[in-house]
Amino acid sequence: MNTSNTTIPDREIALQVQGLTKSYGKVRALRGIDLQVRCGEIFGFLGPNGAGKTTTIRCLLDMIRPDGGKAQVLGLDPQADPVTVQARTGYLPGEMQYYANLTSERQLRFFNDMRGGQADWGSIRQLSDRLELDLKQPIKNLSKGNKQKLGVIQALMHRPELLILDEPTSGLDPLMQQEVLGLFREANEAGATIFFSSHIMSEVETLAQRVAIIRAGEIVEVAETSSLTHGTLSRMTVRFKRPTDFSELIKMPGIGLLSQVDQTSITLQVTGDMERLVQELGRLPVLDLETERPSLEDAFMNYYHEQN
Amino acid sequence: MKRLWTTFRYTFNGLRWQILGWGIGLALYGLMLIPMYETMAGQQDQLQKLISSYPPEFLAFFGGDADSLMTPAGFLGMYAFSMLPVIVGIFSVLAGSGLIVSDEEHGRLDLILAHPVGRPPFFFGRFLGMLGASLGIIFLGWLGFSLLLGQSSLGFTWGQMAVPFLSLFVQVLVYAILAFLLSMFLPSRSLAAMVSGVVMVASYLLSSLSFMSEGVEMIARILPYHYYQTVLSFQELNLAWLFALIGISLLMGLLAWFRFARRDIRLSGEGSWRLSR
Repeated sequence: MNTSNTTIPDREIALQVQGLTKSYGKVRALRGIDLQVRCGEIFGFLGPNGAGKTTTIRCLLDMIRPDGGKAQVLGLDPQADPVTVQARTGYLPGEMQYYANLTSERQLRFFNDMRGGQADWGSIRQLSDRLELDLKQPIKNLSKGNKQKLGVIQALMHRPELLILDEPTSGLDPLMQQEVLGLFREANEAGATIFFSSHIMSEVETLAQRVAIIRAGEIVEVAETSSLTHGTLSRMTVRFKRPTDFSELIKMPGIGLLSQVDQTSITLQVTGDMERLVQELGRLPVLDLETERPSLEDAFMNYYHEQN
Repeated sequence: MKRLWTTFRYTFNGLRWQILGWGIGLALYGLMLIPMYETMAGQQDQLQKLISSYPPEFLAFFGGDADSLMTPAGFLGMYAFSMLPVIVGIFSVLAGSGLIVSDEEHGRLDLILAHPVGRPPFFFGRFLGMLGASLGIIFLGWLGFSLLLGQSSLGFTWGQMAVPFLSLFVQVLVYAILAFLLSMFLPSRSLAAMVSGVVMVASYLLSSLSFMSEGVEMIARILPYHYYQTVLSFQELNLAWLFALIGISLLMGLLAWFRFARRDIRLSGEGSWRLSR
């Protein structure tokens, strides 16, 4: 497990939490979370439902007050100075709810007024065009996906320094997911830091430079996305020319048998260095072999299975 | 200040149909009632006999007795002012209980408060929006009751007519802020509305029946309706009662603020009976 963050100078930290705890009655939602997100970084916050992702995010925005620990957003304490934090932040909640009788445009005007007119309507129209959202439609007529688009627009419309996104592509079709992820990438290229939670591995894998994995209110891993996916775990399928005794193979340290069709085809999970495995295979009548690069999902599932 | 004004503006605007609905309803009732006095006065003898045959408990419910009900003040008290705190109180209880919690229960508050508005301007903007709406309804009602005064033999001026409406406004304030306060502590808006509605109706019933026994009167004394004044002159107005009710309302408002400033914002569907965290 690697939960350490390399030491980052304070000025380069966009978001930091230390020992954050929060309980709802007897349920301990957060059990001492430590996180650091660098300025300009896209940081994925990964975990299954109920792991504490939304609770962490809501502590950062002063929606809920932690029982213990410290949070800093853009160098500010969100409890002491929530208005400044919120002015510099764009937030997309996990569940979007609006005033159903308003049109999208009226709803955005409401949010913009709440921001003191920070946004400009030119960029709002650009965003709505790219997301193919008709702003004249009453919200009650919008599908879940279109409501999500409206949420994306309100999060981006004032060009925030920090974007805090809770399940940002929830409800969007695959094409629109790509468009939205593209918008976030563009915001990041323009200098915005992005902190987003998700349980969709492909989304995190595509977007995030670093990820934290949260499990039952505890951070269990913080790592570069690439180090998780190009890490020590991989999968190898081996086909033999004839039925072969491979029992010695699966006794090797770091090798696990995932599946076996018959004595001519096996799939192995390989942890660590492949060199010894390849040497061992050299002594067997191998027809072909195929290695699979592990996805973030594999890494995540592997991690959770190990824990369980 | 700008953030408070923005919240006030949206709150007041959001209540505009309720202001118009309740206010115009009240005004129309006044416009219909004031000319009726002439008809009633013309049939005073027959009505006096009829009213005398009613049980005193029934008459007390409408704020008078057989002798006073045919006076201009008694007429207005019986047919309008005695019931108005309960009628307009329905608006107060609904508006107060839903002022912030309605957005919270619908899952909108999270996103609204993620905007740089801040809890104090948001809270007080909404609070003032509700006060403004209550004032709007009372104003429209007063206007409806006053417009035809010049053609009536009731003998009251527009200014005198404002006195019971001032007292009515304070009653409305008490129930609205009570519902608001309860919504900050109780787990749902509907429960807050129900409890404050029960207080409102019990207050009316017990105050109306307080002449029946000392026990009922003792209870009535701690309820807001007991301090409701339907008098039609500033000289007769008990200012101590008026300011005491305003003070209690402000105190309840401060308690609601104290709670709102410290509590977690719930997501839709969340709720708890726990009073403190």
